[in-house]
Amino acid sequence: MADPKMKFLVVDDFSTMRRIVRNLLKELGYTNVDEAEDGVIALQKLQSGGFEFVVTDWNMPNMDGLTLLQTIRATPHLKHLPVLMITAEAKKENIIAAAQAGASGYIVKPFTAGTLSEKLTKIFEKMGKA
Amino acid sequence: MSDFGGMEDLLQDFLQEAHDLLSDVDNKLVDLEKMPDDRGLLNDIFRGFHTVKGGAGFLNASELVTLCHLTENLFDRLRNGELELTPELMDIIMAATKGVRDMFGELGQMVQPQPADPAVIAGLHSALTGEAPQPVAPAPPPVTPAPAPAAAAEIAASGPDWSLLHTAVTGVEPKTAPQPQPVPVAPSAEMRVAEPTVTPAPAIAGQPVGQPAASPFGRRATDRPGGQPTAARRVEERTRENTIRVDTSRLDQVLNLSGEIGLTKNRLTSLRADILAGKNDSETLHALDQAVSQLDLLVSDLQNSVMKTRMQPIGRLFQKYPRIARDLARQLGKDVELVLAGEDTEVDKTMIEDLADPLIHLIRNAVDHGVEMPLDRQAAGKPQKSLVRLEARQEGDHIVLIIADDGKGMSAERIRAKAIEKGLISEEEANTLDERQSLNLIFLPGFSTKAQISDVSGRGVGMDVVKTNIQKLNGSIEIRSEPGKGSVFIISLPLTLAILPVLLVLLGEQPFALPLSLVREILPIEQNRIQEVGGKETLVVRGEVLPVIPLSRLLGWGSDHCPEYGVFMQTAERSFILGVDSFAGRDDAVIKSLEDFRPKGVAGVTTLSNGQIVLILDMKELLSDLGQHSEFGSGVRALDFA
Repeated sequence: MADPKMKFLVVDDFSTMRRIVRNLLKELGYTNVDEAEDGVIALQKLQSGGFEFVVTDWNMPNMDGLTLLQTIRATPHLKHLPVLMITAEAKKENIIAAAQAGASGYIVKPFTAGTLSEKLTKIFEKMGKA
Repeated sequence: MSDFGGMEDLLQDFLQEAHDLLSDVDNKLVDLEKMPDDRGLLNDIFRGFHTVKGGAGFLNASELVTLCHLTENLFDRLRNGELELTPELMDIIMAATKGVRDMFGELGQMVQPQPADPAVIAGLHSALTGEAPQPVAPAPPPVTPAPAPAAAAEIAASGPDWSLLHTAVTGVEPKTAPQPQPVPVAPSAEMRVAEPTVTPAPAIAGQPVGQPAASPFGRRATDRPGGQPTAARRVEERTRENTIRVDTSRLDQVLNLSGEIGLTKNRLTSLRADILAGKNDSETLHALDQAVSQLDLLVSDLQNSVMKTRMQPIGRLFQKYPRIARDLARQLGKDVELVLAGEDTEVDKTMIEDLADPLIHLIRNAVDHGVEMPLDRQAAGKPQKSLVRLEARQEGDHIVLIIADDGKGMSAERIRAKAIEKGLISEEEANTLDERQSLNLIFLPGFSTKAQISDVSGRGVGMDVVKTNIQKLNGSIEIRSEPGKGSVFIISLPLTLAILPVLLVLLGEQPFALPLSLVREILPIEQNRIQEVGGKETLVVRGEVLPVIPLSRLLGWGSDHCPEYGVFMQTAERSFILGVDSFAGRDDAVIKSLEDFRPKGVAGVTTLSNGQIVLILDMKELLSDLGQHSEFGSGVRALDFA
């Protein structure tokens, strides 16, 4: 497991969903979690620094997850951030779009702590290699 | 008992948030009817179903996931211009939304939702397949390997973790996921692209999916009042929300104040020690005085702040109504727009819950009985579309709710005739009624204007129940109506139920508390000005003849001496002067109910600053003992005093 103090930003417009993700992360030992309601707020928080991992929903008002991802990748001091996309869809177009925009991982609702852990481990492994 | 072991908290959160979301969707649907091409609306509605689906997945509510998924797909195609929004389609969507709401009701009962009405599911399917210009994917369920390799190739080319994507793609077909968690499917040579959009569910395999248009399904689903979903709905209505959303700044204020109170308490504790030790110089006493005054201020601030945490914008209640009005108007073939105003007016949470039913009834009443059919309106020179206005506002320490329609209005004459016909009043009584009293007759039990109680005119609940419910909240309801122009119902409610401003009156040495909301003024009673009218003592106040009722008589104390002061009281249906001996001031009473013991005419008790216990009188109940015992209720007994 990576550093348990690692700071996560969970982005979702549905507060119940943020709570679910937060709880799952807690189950995995990550307790340093902040939340944002949409891409715009997420970017503001990210700009202020300190975050090491972004978990974002896809479908949100104001700025959706894909745009958030693209913006992160286009911002020099943020582009290294791992971004895990969460969606309810497993449509291949979506997955491709996420992959092309540089998503570090893609997870489909509903998922368990086990699935989440697996995705995180994979992302950490890749980061380690890079 | 519960299908949600360990997830109850999550379920509550989900339901609360999802309810709000769905109400929002409901309103947007009503707007969508007016602007069927508005992409913003279509997007928002799409996202609403999408979000509910996502949350439902975590609760393993697979039936809810299925229903939301189909509806969401429908909106996806609508927003992409692949489908056109027809009235028939709208009916299906409305029925689906209702299905989602019913499922929330079941979830609220801690049970997994039953499958949605097959007719609704079939309607959604045929809308997605039958009318679609081109299906998104091949219709038959058998797996089509064709798209998979392509997808694989593209994904592989773009380079991300293949097995990650594979798991994502294969693990999630909503219909195949009734088991708790999506089990990651072991990688296989063939990739199965799940397309539930066009896969007829097994449950409806026998249904005529290919039926010409979807309208029969939708229509039936909307119109049929019975059936299981309705039952679930009722269950839902009976359960009350036991959580509340509070603005964090309000909670912070409560926290702040309790901190301050803690500090003041410490100060008092140390002063007590000083005083007990014999220190009672003027400086110490002054400090004590200051600390007590400060505590006084802080406690009342705290009370206010705590009360504020219970206040909720009434908009949360209002937002359900445009949809109800729309559905009803459509059923009746009327064109009605419900206009909301003052949605941010804040009302005590309990009151919001208790207002839900009376308001629904009044809105149904306005749409059903108040406004005319479009053609009749045209004939009367009015615009075809009728407006029903629902408004809330705060006036002083009262909340006023207004339900106004621009319909045909009510004729006092016709109402009197109907009341006589129903045997509610006699002809003589009818003749003495003025306009306002005549209109008030509709609140009598048994005065339901329509003989046939359809599912339209509500649940067989009459206006009398509306009135009783409002009165339970210490409120009043009033009607104004002008034939040809429309009717207005005005509900007036106290800001909160927990604190009751009272007037303390004395009978001999004994204080009693009267609700201040009923008190109009206080006047001295001069014996020589009392006139006997029909054997009853009356007093003329500014031209109005008012009966004088000594409180001692109401309480059965049978005292002979004449009261010195009169309290001019006005309840919803009568005005009178209550005779008392003296006054002890006014107070904000914190009502304590008497458990297992409820003497007639006593609403509760409160404690005075000196520790004395005072009864709070229930005037309505006390007065019901007076005069002839008539079954007609207040409207008619008012005649005695008018």
